[in-house]
Amino acid sequence: MSELNETIHQTIRLRVMAALVTLDLGDEVDFTYLRDLLDVTDGNLGAHLRKLEEAGFISVNKTFIERKPRTYVAATDAGRKVFKEHVEALEAILKSK
Amino acid sequence: MNSKKDIINISAKEAEEALAAIQGVAQKTRHSIASGSAHISLITTGIVWLIGFTATQFLSPPLIIWIWIVTSIIGSALAIFIGIRTGKRVRTASSAVTGKRIAIFWMLLTLFALGIIAVAHPIDGKQITLVIILFAMIGQMGMGLLLSFSATWWTVPVAAVALLGYFLVPDWFYLWMGLLGGGVMIALGLYIHFRW
Repeated sequence: MSELNETIHQTIRLRVMAALVTLDLGDEVDFTYLRDLLDVTDGNLGAHLRKLEEAGFISVNKTFIERKPRTYVAATDAGRKVFKEHVEALEAILKSK
Repeated sequence: MNSKKDIINISAKEAEEALAAIQGVAQKTRHSIASGSAHISLITTGIVWLIGFTATQFLSPPLIIWIWIVTSIIGSALAIFIGIRTGKRVRTASSAVTGKRIAIFWMLLTLFALGIIAVAHPIDGKQITLVIILFAMIGQMGMGLLLSFSATWWTVPVAAVALLGYFLVPDWFYLWMGLLGGGVMIALGLYIHFRW
């Protein structure tokens, strides 16, 4: 049976993962785009991304485009799998109501 | 911090709220990516049509050609510049392959449009304009289907406006296309940007 994941369940991390798994496999999203999409601050998003990265659920790719630093974020295979299980567990709770 | 066991015991209401949040973000992300720079492309094309077609209705040929050239160059440059900027928001693993396919698709579509115009020759300026508009809408629809299904729908009202103008008000076709065709594009672009 699928289980809820403690790391993902936090509201902002849940929304980050929801946005990232919506992308096609292999696609990555810019940090500022994700920040604007979720309407959170730089510091807040950065802290939650670190937690997700430490858990292995996302990959963070820092690069330079036209000599400007950019950070791209993507869901890893493990992150996608855990998120899917998390959603299944939420649905199971609703069904058992 | 809560343990995993505590979280498993969340209420059905909390589960429902979490699922609603997930669905909301997923939908917002899909729409954001699908619309991408589409609204900018629509608004700039709409302005070009508004100026170009209105000028075609009232002005003489040498001036019309210059107006179309200048507005098209400015509009294309602006759309490409903003498209590149917004394109950096999401990096796609297959973007190089997709870009090549898009280029080939538009090249072939242009050749087909020229083929149709050549076969139907002699045709007047209004007919050529309508063929180009319809092929451009087919192309945009193809792009929408290739990149995101939700970005295809706007081609239908624009094509419908063009056909209605051609058959209902042939004498004022260019003005119709400028005001209604260009206007519809601008309105759709604003709608996608602010409301979608």
